[in-house]
Amino acid sequence: MKKIYAFESRCLGCRLCEVYCRTARFKSKDVVKAHKRKNITSAIIVEEVLGPNNISYFALQCRHCKNPKCIKACISGAMYKNDKGIVRNDSEKCVGCLSCILVCPFGVIKKNDDGKSVSKCDLCADFGEPFCVENCPNEAIKFLNEGEARALK
Amino acid sequence: MKKYLIIGNGAAGVNAAVAIRANDKTSSIKIISDEEFNFYGRPLISYYLSGQVKPENIYYRNEEFYKSKNIKVLLDTKAKKIDTVKKEVLTSLGERISYDKLLIATGSSPFIPLIKNLDFNRQKNVFTFLTYKDSIRLKEKITGNSKVVIAGAGLVGLKASEGLFGQVASITVVDLADRVMASVLDKSEADIIQEHIEQKFINFKLQMSICEVQGKSSVSEVTLSNGETFDCDILVVAVGVRPNVVLAKEAGINTLRGIVVDEYMQTSIKDVYAAGDCVESLDLFSSENNRVFALWPNASNQGEIAGFNMTGAKIKAPKIFAMNSISFFGLQLISAGVISDSRSSGVFVDSTKNKLHKLNIFNDNLIGFVLINDNQRAGIYTSLINDKTNLSALAYDITSKDIGFNVYSAEERTKKIFDCNGGY
Repeated sequence: MKKIYAFESRCLGCRLCEVYCRTARFKSKDVVKAHKRKNITSAIIVEEVLGPNNISYFALQCRHCKNPKCIKACISGAMYKNDKGIVRNDSEKCVGCLSCILVCPFGVIKKNDDGKSVSKCDLCADFGEPFCVENCPNEAIKFLNEGEARALK
Repeated sequence: MKKYLIIGNGAAGVNAAVAIRANDKTSSIKIISDEEFNFYGRPLISYYLSGQVKPENIYYRNEEFYKSKNIKVLLDTKAKKIDTVKKEVLTSLGERISYDKLLIATGSSPFIPLIKNLDFNRQKNVFTFLTYKDSIRLKEKITGNSKVVIAGAGLVGLKASEGLFGQVASITVVDLADRVMASVLDKSEADIIQEHIEQKFINFKLQMSICEVQGKSSVSEVTLSNGETFDCDILVVAVGVRPNVVLAKEAGINTLRGIVVDEYMQTSIKDVYAAGDCVESLDLFSSENNRVFALWPNASNQGEIAGFNMTGAKIKAPKIFAMNSISFFGLQLISAGVISDSRSSGVFVDSTKNKLHKLNIFNDNLIGFVLINDNQRAGIYTSLINDKTNLSALAYDITSKDIGFNVYSAEERTKKIFDCNGGY
């Protein structure tokens, strides 16, 4: 399956992906309005790597593990894997217990501000290509199959 | 075509059934459950009590789920006896169900301490709090005038108090320990939780036990070990659980505190497996002693591994360590591993009001952590415990700043991203 892969040498650390991730989660898909909405949580995380002389960056989001620990830990059945292999969270069922956050080895599930559910990357499955990838100004994140990603690494 | 039989319709049983079906598309899979409901999120029963989770949302998977996987569930059916020679299970309905591979996933039962005059069969206002049925009965019984006493300030007792909050006149929680969640937390962390809950006018009577109750057909008064007595309209007993081992033991299967299994989740008798709250698991932090862990993620994992192995796979179950993620009135607690200070050479506490961040480090390994209202990226800590990662090999000192995936080297990050298998 296709996933989002980050290319650290290309990442500017601009965090536009976070803005567009929030936009993807906002009904009207209006980037300005979504950016102002503090209660929409981004499901992509930009991290800094401190080198001896420089700072580099990478973006990280759900890896859609083959055998996800988050699903095993989920107490409500909100977390599930769909038939395409995408790990999704049903916010109607989620009670915000954060058991998924307790076990996610990548630390890429976030608590929503309402405290009643969590936010995680669903690869923008409901409307085409991931927004973060489409809007990255420097091709630092790409939507690829594993083989394609390995070839580029 | 094989016949798979699973006793227990909880996290272990259902995950086993799913794993079996993933590896074996044609064989018959049957689950026997002594409960009347389909698989539900057991920890959700306190959310049902509070009204936060509606009855339609308590079920873990929908009806279609069982149908599509062709898993047959016999509800309201108790397994009475296992005959491991004839390979059949006798049910409470008198039916004999034969199997080729059997999984015992019977879970645990509430432990009832000795309390003078307490009689669950006679007294109509005493409850345990482990099943959806318990929660439904309790919810029906409470009124705005109920004076509730909860025996046990552990996870279950405290969640019950949260579920009842606002619906009853008073709630008093009694526990023998000097703190809440004594099996999970040290005093300093427990005090933060307790003070937060006390703001909701829930009363605690610690270092005390209920030694006597008054009343025949219902309890009207409780007496504590210090001689104090008070009125009681509802008594909830939540002092812990014990693994359900009788069925296995009577069938000649090795049991100690829990059912004894090997690393493939097979019991002492061939073709009989066990998983979840009813078994003794290998403890990550002790090579000699096995422990009974009543933890949802553990039950799910063991069930799945048992299921795979029942179809002929050879997957070893990982060693287990305690882990909990739970909230009380908005205060979030996440903890894992060994918490107690006694074993650590370095405990780093960063606590402001209602926020705590404690890492327990021993011999260059993270062996436990407690986070209160500070949950971001806790799973990375859990991984460091699970993988026994040498902390000195990481990119920075984990006590020096908030943890991120950048704690790993670029090479390690790439490896983890491509290997993302999840569990085992």
